[in-house]
Amino acid sequence: MARAVFHPRSAYAPSAGYRLLPLRFGRLDEHAYIVTNDVGEYVRLARDELVAFLERRLDSDTSVYKALKSRHFLYENDSSVAFDLLALKYRSRAERVAAFTGLHIFVVTLRCDHSCQYCQVSRQSEDSTAFDMTVEHADKALDLVFRSPNEHIKIELQGGEPLLNFPLVCHIVERARKLNEDHRRDLQFVITSNLSRLSDDVLSFCKEHGVYLSTSLDGPADLHDGQRPTRGGGSHRKTVEGIHRVREVLGLDRISALMTTTPRSLSRVDEIIDEYVRLGFHGIFLRSLSPYGFAARSLVKRYGVEDWLDFYKRGLSHILRINAGGYFLREEFTTILLQKMFSPLGSGYVDLQSPAGVGIGALVYNYDGAVYASDEGRMLAEMGDQTFRLGHLDEHSYEELLTSEALLAPLGETILEGMPMCADCPFLPYCGADPVFHRATQGDAVGHKAFSAFCTKQMGVLRHVIGLLETDAEARDILLRWV
Amino acid sequence: MRAEDPGADAPFVFRDGCIGVTVDVRAYRLSAVQKTAYRLAAKCTAIIGEVREHSLVVTLTFSPTTGEREALETARLFFQELLDQELREKVGEQTASLRALILAHAFSRTSLPPRG
Repeated sequence: MARAVFHPRSAYAPSAGYRLLPLRFGRLDEHAYIVTNDVGEYVRLARDELVAFLERRLDSDTSVYKALKSRHFLYENDSSVAFDLLALKYRSRAERVAAFTGLHIFVVTLRCDHSCQYCQVSRQSEDSTAFDMTVEHADKALDLVFRSPNEHIKIELQGGEPLLNFPLVCHIVERARKLNEDHRRDLQFVITSNLSRLSDDVLSFCKEHGVYLSTSLDGPADLHDGQRPTRGGGSHRKTVEGIHRVREVLGLDRISALMTTTPRSLSRVDEIIDEYVRLGFHGIFLRSLSPYGFAARSLVKRYGVEDWLDFYKRGLSHILRINAGGYFLREEFTTILLQKMFSPLGSGYVDLQSPAGVGIGALVYNYDGAVYASDEGRMLAEMGDQTFRLGHLDEHSYEELLTSEALLAPLGETILEGMPMCADCPFLPYCGADPVFHRATQGDAVGHKAFSAFCTKQMGVLRHVIGLLETDAEARDILLRWV
Repeated sequence: MRAEDPGADAPFVFRDGCIGVTVDVRAYRLSAVQKTAYRLAAKCTAIIGEVREHSLVVTLTFSPTTGEREALETARLFFQELLDQELREKVGEQTASLRALILAHAFSRTSLPPRG
């Protein structure tokens, strides 16, 4: 019987050193650097390890070497496996661009019964039907929706308060479903509502057509009502009643809520989070204010990005404690970033894409028939800046809208790999471009990142989250469960 | 690298709202200096001068509200960042063709670019 002969371990050692694969690096904190690659892998290193690695003198027996090799930052000269894996992973992450527009937002009315201080649209009083979308425009918009090749289509019905134009909501949902008998897409509907007009008719319609609801909840009653005044008061009470009714009739997972951080929220993050837990939510999005629309500009000036970062870090710490106590609650912005780090497909969050998600991630059909490249682009237009207006449903075809200069220019400018500072930034694979934010704050779609609150926010959050992942084992366990 | 004033005890001298620094272009390439200047634009304006012999004079200009301590810290950061930028340039040189190869490989079996 032949005896098996094994080579000694040394026979499998790299024969002629290693070579670098494409990477970016930068400071993570005072003590450490981070290297990342195009597919979102990362390794944390001390500076001397980084320099040794880049100068190709890292010892192959070290744990750092093994981490860098397994995550495709180096390859040994006799292997091409890393190339195949990197190409495959890159293609998976880029597939979203080819899928094209998945989110279609219909602004069915600008009318609203609330007068929120941070409102991002120019709300109109409840009886101004001149600010309602017409059936003709809704039908034209639906025809455009199904021109998108995306297999997964989400139609978001918003306003103003969309339930003030409920007949049009019904028309859009019913006609979309009818059209989808031929198109056979994975079709989903969401109504973004303050729930003040939630009725049995609305609930039974939503049940029949599988419609989801999304609402605003800013925290405890005094905070919420102070920020979201409505005639007769009681916005918080109505919202909470609405949440319970939706869950009772449609099911627990049929409603989600969003909060907006105002100067008044900053000192109350724990209470805001506790309110979400009290109401049985398992997700909360600690959203900063956007610099668009009604009174947002003046509010934005009342707190800086560093104030929000402090709010976020305290909030995340509280959320981690809640999870450690046995209640599952994830912070949604953190989850998006974690998906970009650890999911092979990244995240589809429209506001963090490269190129930017404008147009190819979302399209907005305004009440007046105008078509915008994003919801924020529509808000900017309400302030008089039409940069992101692609055209009009009465005047332009799908091809004309999607090849308009208003779309192609920001798409061409917002590929992060070609943007100053972003091109070298280690956080690039976890980030995205926000041309509307930079247009609003700096007057151009790219913006100078050294002056960008968007960039400061992204880097602040990413440094904090990666710091937790690398130095706090319990936090890491919890965070990875959110992906 | 060295401060412009060779007689100074401190490595940098803050005078009239400016710090002058000299970069040895044999150690750092111009693109690294430019990227460093861009990255620090919120802290100072870097006026990049002419290259003479092997030296490039860069004047870091600060706003009137910037104090000496902050300005000196920015000058220190300038050279820290310059070191990183120079390393990035070297890594870019070594890996640019590999990145192009990986991207070409990634899209070689898709309809991007369009088939003829």
